Amino acid sequence: MFRFALTRIGMALPTLLIVAVSVFVLIRLIPGDPAQLMLGDLATPASLADLRARLGLDQSLPVQFGIWIGNVVSGDFGQSISSQQAVLPLILQRFWVSAQIVLVAVLLASCVAVPAGVIAAWKQDSALDLGLVATATLLLSIPTFWLGLLLLLFFGLKLEWLPVVGYVSIAENPWAGILYLVMPILTLFLHEIGVILRMARASTLEVLRLDYITHARAKGLSEGAVLWRHAFKNAFGPTWTLIGLVLGNLLGGIAVVETVFTIPGLGRLLVDAIFARDYPVIQGCMLFVAFTYVLVNLVIDLCYPVFDPRVTAQ
Amino acid sequence: MTKGTTVLLLALAAGFGASAAAADTLRSRLNTDIRSINPGVNRDDSTDGVVLHMVEGLVANSANGTPKPLLAETIETSPDGLTYTFKLRKGVKFHDGSTLTAEDVVWNWRRYMDPKTGWLCTGEYNGANGLKAEIAAPDADTVVFTLNQPSSVFLAGMARSQCGQTAIIARSSVNPDGSFKTPVGTGPFKFGEWRRGEYIRLDRFADYADRGGPADGYVGGKKPLVDAVQFIVIPDDATAKAALMSGKLDILASVSATDAPELRAKPDIAVTSAPTMMFSTILLQTRDPLLSNVKMRQAIAAALDFRQIAQSVTDGLVPANASIVATASRYYSSEQKRGFAYDPAKAARLLKEAGYTGQRIVLMANKNERDTYETAVIAQSMLQAAGLNVDLEIVEWATQLDRYSKGNYQMQSFSYSARYDPALAYSAVIGSKDVRPNRIWDNAEAEDLLRKIVATTKEDERQVLFDKLHELFLDQAPFLMLFNGVEVSAASKRVKGFAASTMPKPRLWEVSVSK
Repeated sequence: MFRFALTRIGMALPTLLIVAVSVFVLIRLIPGDPAQLMLGDLATPASLADLRARLGLDQSLPVQFGIWIGNVVSGDFGQSISSQQAVLPLILQRFWVSAQIVLVAVLLASCVAVPAGVIAAWKQDSALDLGLVATATLLLSIPTFWLGLLLLLFFGLKLEWLPVVGYVSIAENPWAGILYLVMPILTLFLHEIGVILRMARASTLEVLRLDYITHARAKGLSEGAVLWRHAFKNAFGPTWTLIGLVLGNLLGGIAVVETVFTIPGLGRLLVDAIFARDYPVIQGCMLFVAFTYVLVNLVIDLCYPVFDPRVTAQ
Repeated sequence: MTKGTTVLLLALAAGFGASAAAADTLRSRLNTDIRSINPGVNRDDSTDGVVLHMVEGLVANSANGTPKPLLAETIETSPDGLTYTFKLRKGVKFHDGSTLTAEDVVWNWRRYMDPKTGWLCTGEYNGANGLKAEIAAPDADTVVFTLNQPSSVFLAGMARSQCGQTAIIARSSVNPDGSFKTPVGTGPFKFGEWRRGEYIRLDRFADYADRGGPADGYVGGKKPLVDAVQFIVIPDDATAKAALMSGKLDILASVSATDAPELRAKPDIAVTSAPTMMFSTILLQTRDPLLSNVKMRQAIAAALDFRQIAQSVTDGLVPANASIVATASRYYSSEQKRGFAYDPAKAARLLKEAGYTGQRIVLMANKNERDTYETAVIAQSMLQAAGLNVDLEIVEWATQLDRYSKGNYQMQSFSYSARYDPALAYSAVIGSKDVRPNRIWDNAEAEDLLRKIVATTKEDERQVLFDKLHELFLDQAPFLMLFNGVEVSAASKRVKGFAASTMPKPRLWEVSVSK
């Protein structure tokens, strides 16, 4: 297992290098100059040249890349051009905020959607199945920004139960922190239910058609035992993979939800950095997101044997 | 109701009680976080709006853009316009308790002139752009600036918000190594707490030395009437509106003019508006093969209904203005009111004379600034109706600014931030494109007139020169000035003393909020 994990992490290194090079080059291909954006209409050719030199942007691209990647390897992601903060602590601070929302939302969505998907498959073509599929499709179709605004108007403005704007860290004030996180979590939770439920239903349906399920029923096993012991365990693999992908994606940024609910998370940091052409922050965020993605999927892979003994780390 | 539900509701109510506390805090929205708290060094409009609550300069702009004494008691100018003598106000305290002296002003000026400080306006005073200013402090209350050449925009330049109002800060603002720490200024509020991406809180400065009188731009009365002001970062417009309606926000500045009617309909919200000195334009690249022909540019001007564009984009809150001199400026004379007449027949005739045969022209705009986008859409429609083959190219702001800076465009819907002296506004557009590709009006006669305006400090002489420059501008149509900006602000009716002003960002002194 340990060797498998190490091999996977080793295999991720070329991926991260490709991400680093791609992001570095692509962001510089887009028109826009951070020095110009900082100086605004006070820019003169001399002041522009001076600021570019101070930011190291006057060096050739290979030199800039060499300096940056060298620093990254030693754990220094550089300094934000616009806020002049160290990039890595900034990313970690913002990531923690996003991660609280994403982890809770995906966990809750999985707890609801997986059983619902299994039941929908078990009761295929019944009113319950149709209702669940319709709900999943509806939730999947509603854009998160709109769903967020609806929740905000309902719980924030109409019922006045939850705060409309702002963020309080759970570490500082657990109760207030939870209140501020309820709506963002609910938004993601509702959206992800649709994604996971459909996959859980489809994979369970596939398994329910297999011979060993018929055999289990012929043996006289109860429906509960058939579903849980034989169908669910075998059908959960694809859903588990999907949960991993969803988690990886969402941990990379939920900019829309963060913008609607004024949450200072990683997604907003990245979007703001792109608008400001804050190269060190963009590069740092993208590299971190890629690393998170790889890590999450590694954990997912390592968990497979728990659900399906046929799969081993070998 | 179950026991569990009751407990939950009680707990929720307790949570609101906690968050609704601190009623003596005035909460205003920021649509993006500020860049820094270092005046005039790392800034944008949001940054200036916050920082200028903490720091003050020797001079600042009044509501009509006239630079007036702020930390100075009086300003005397020598007859040759080369010496400015500032008498400082007595008893002005910094936030650390120390008293403002002439030596502090000298220290600040030397710090600003040091390239290591990174002050954005150093080049305006160190000779790089022609003007050089030397400072001396003959006594504890007097500061003398000596210029190498007369400059009518010397004070206006110092008062610019982009330069952080050339703020005078205490030496305790910097670390022993000279790096910036926090702004220890003389403003009505002092630095409290900045949570990046969330909010910045400023606390009342109890020892603020108020000049008294009614609030007037950045001068006049500036008493802090609340314990604290909190600028909350809310990027999304819909969320910001919801926050205002739910009472989580007291002031929502820079509302889109088209959103104003909806907010006006709310009984608990007061909406105010004021014209600003921003200028919305359609830039024409005079080096473009097609648009280098003055008849083409005149045809474009005749094809646009300026009044209709201003009416539609600003919801009728500001009139059309074809002059670079803002309508709120003291230099906005009857001559400045002259503009282009909407005349499609004339446009068609001029196009024919210019030999235009339907070549494609690209009009660039961005969606980050709603006004410039809407202007572009309306202008495109009018130009197409007049027979011009105009396509829209929508890009994001950084891309448009890049293309603007390089002069790489045919037409752009573009808006300039406020310049309170028209000479500064003209300076942003007049100049050689060979030297600075972002200049719009490359004309020797215009440059000469601008030089004369900058060199004279007499108001009546300046007025004549501004009028001449406007006449030349209409004649050559190097670009099209459409209308000045409008600041629309919405505030809870619990807020007293607040109204939108010429300043594009809200000022929260002399403003209170009832519990």
